[in-house]
Order: sequence, then structure tokens, then C-alpha cells
Amino acid sequence: MRSRIVFAASGIIIFLLLQTTILEYIEINNIKPNLLLVFIVSVALLRGNLEGAVNGFFAGLTWDIVSGKVIGFYALLGMYLGLVVGSLNKRIYRDNIFVALFFTFSSSIVYETVVYFFGVFLKGNTDYINSFTKIIFPEALYNTASAILIFYIVVRADRRINKAQKLLRKY
Amino acid sequence: MLHLLKKKPFIILLVTIVLFIVMGITSKYNSKLGWFGNLFNTIVSPIQNVLTFTGNKVDRTLSYFNDNKKIREENDNLKKRIDELEKENEDLKELKTRNDMLLEALNIKNQLKEFDYISTNIIAKDPGNWFNIFTIDKGSTNAVNNNSVVVASKGLVGRVMVSGPFSAKVISIIDIDSSVSARLTKNRGLVDVKGDITLRDQGLCKMYNIDPGVDIAVGDSVETSGVGGIFPKGIKIGEIKEIRQVNNELDRYAIIEPAVDFNRLEDVFVLKSKK
Repeated sequence: MRSRIVFAASGIIIFLLLQTTILEYIEINNIKPNLLLVFIVSVALLRGNLEGAVNGFFAGLTWDIVSGKVIGFYALLGMYLGLVVGSLNKRIYRDNIFVALFFTFSSSIVYETVVYFFGVFLKGNTDYINSFTKIIFPEALYNTASAILIFYIVVRADRRINKAQKLLRKY
Repeated sequence: MLHLLKKKPFIILLVTIVLFIVMGITSKYNSKLGWFGNLFNTIVSPIQNVLTFTGNKVDRTLSYFNDNKKIREENDNLKKRIDELEKENEDLKELKTRNDMLLEALNIKNQLKEFDYISTNIIAKDPGNWFNIFTIDKGSTNAVNNNSVVVASKGLVGRVMVSGPFSAKVISIIDIDSSVSARLTKNRGLVDVKGDITLRDQGLCKMYNIDPGVDIAVGDSVETSGVGGIFPKGIKIGEIKEIRQVNNELDRYAIIEPAVDFNRLEDVFVLKSKK
């Protein structure tokens, strides 16, 4: 359990630091991927809804602290994202990469649409199509591409932790 | 009552309600919950500082090899330009002393002279693709407070949204939640400058509330008006790039190209009142 918490916490911190500092160098058309979202989805797929929701909550909270205009918005969003994706994971092949890519893509679109609705739409900009083609869709594609790497890392770490715990139980 | 606490939906509902309350509290200005964010930012900001610094260094080293020829050409041009400017500078110095004398005689104060400039680095950019909030490496220990004004060498950048002890969050003028009261340098007409979601990625912003009687043209310079009390009077914002009519001749807005290039922002200054 402790190793899982350490893994999740270090994952959140590392992806947040990358996100805020050197990710701007790999921007395409001023769009950068959302690594934390991919991390939330990957952990939720592998570990189920409880861990997914807790992980999503803390990942969102750090995002709130770094960039949010209020504290709690991204935390709430992250929590529900982890919860929903984690609840769906019992019926599918969890560590299949294509399942992960599909979930990353669709949850990126839903997540960013919610951010658009509360952050932009309610403030008077009602041109959803423009925002969708310029920001949401390219970002979802970019997220999906980065999910290949992040999901691989999360799967590897998960297997290693599982193995270590099995060894512990033996003795 | 206690058995409720063991059920997942109940916990989720509870967390949701608590978060809504937290959102309500923190959306208010100067809330007390800021210490929590400050603590986190204080831990994280040194690491961000190192990462951004290395990123910039690597970027510069890579471009070093490409730019060599271009730089040589530019250097020659700049040398010529320096000669011209030095000549011009001499004339302007004379004008400045005369201007200062006249201003003093007429008792007109330049608001910007009442400020000190605190030099800061940007250590973190906005993580997402919607907004434009960044973090700087000085905080309330260096007299960077909430609503301090942030400028770059060329013009206005934004204002401090939340300041922690060693870092501060800055909301730039191209963010959609930013609104600056401005006026045209040419004829003193009052306008509003706001960020716009479709213009954000190009680093542009929008100018609203243009009085029908005011004469504007492409290329006109826009500066802060001092109305509202956050931004002092007379900081350059940018130039009008395009004027668009909405429905009729009287209803129009303009697109402003800020004097600051928001895609390549590294060092900024925070204004600190001398008093």
C-alpha cells in the first residue's frame, strides 16, 4: 500500500512539474498534452474506482494550486474522472493498450469540454465548434499519443509493486 | 449515522459538497485558504525554477548553432542602428530636461515614476491550454503582493492574482478573465481590453466598449487609463491590429497586438510603490 502511495504521489508531482515547465517546448500549434489527465486515466483503469478517485482528487488539487482561479474545481473534476473510468474497468481488459488509448481519447474530450463549459462558455464565449477544433480535439489526439508512454510506465510500475507484494506475502 | 460514513456514494457526495464550499471561499479575494496553496508552491517552486532554467538553457544552446549567420548579419545592422540612435538620443536628452522642467512647472506628475521595479523570472507556465496564468519566483517576502502590476520592458503583462511567500501567480492580460481599463494614446478615448479564447494562442487580445464618437485606426497605440485603481496610468499595452464591425457602424471591437510577446516571455518586472 505504501509503495502505491509513493508511486502515485511522485507520479503526480513529476507530471505536474513537466507540465508547467518544459512541456512548452513540445507544443504543437500552441497545444500541449495534459499528462496529469493521462496519468489519472491510467491509474484508474488499472486500480479501480477508489484509488482512481483518490489519485484524481490529488492530481486535480495540485493543478488547482498551480493554475486554478479557485481551489477545488480541478480536484472535483479529477475525482469524478478517476471514479467513472475506474468503475468501468471491471468489465474490460484492463492492461490492454488500445483500451487505455480509447479511454484517454474519450475522457480528454469530455474533461476539456467540462473545463470549456465552466471556464469559457459561462463567461460569454459560446463558440464551441471553434474551441473544439482548435483546442479540445488536438489536445485529445496529443493526449492519446502521450498515453502510449505513460500507460506503459504505469503498467510496469503496477506489475513491479504487485510482484513485490506477492514476495512479501510468501515470507 | 456512522454506518453512512462507510458507504462510497456518501463519501463522494460529502467530498463534492466540501469542494463546492472551498471553491466558494477561494473565489473570494484574499481568502484565508491561500496558505495551503502557498505551502505547496513553496516546496515546488525551486524545482520548477531549476527545470525552467535548464529548459531555457538547452533551447538557447540548440539555437546557437542555427543562428550564427543570422546573428552576424543582425549584428552589423544593429551597429548601424546604434550610431543613428546615439545621435537621436542626444537630441532627446535635451528635450527630456526641458520636458521635465515644464512638467514640474505645470505640476503634472508621471505616475510611473513613483514605482520601483522588482526583477523576477517566470518559473512556471500555465499547465493547460485554456488560460494564461504563470508563476514568478518572487513573493510577498519581496514586496510582491496581490494585485501588484507586472510589466515587461516593452509593456503591460498583467497583475498578480495570488502571492505566496516565495512565488506568485500572475494572470496575464490575454487570459479570458482579465479586463484592463485602457485608453487610446492619440485622443484619450476610454476603452476596455480583455482576453479572448480564440485570440489567446496568437498572443492577442480584444478591445471593447469603444465609444461611437471615438476615432480609431489600425496602428493606434493603447495604454492603461488608471481607472479602476489596479493599473497605474500610462503603461503601454499595445497597438490596434484590426478593427471589426459587429452589426452596424457603431458596434465595433478591435483586436490588439500587445507590445509584449507572450509566447517568449522570460523576465518580467513587478511594480512596487516607493511610498
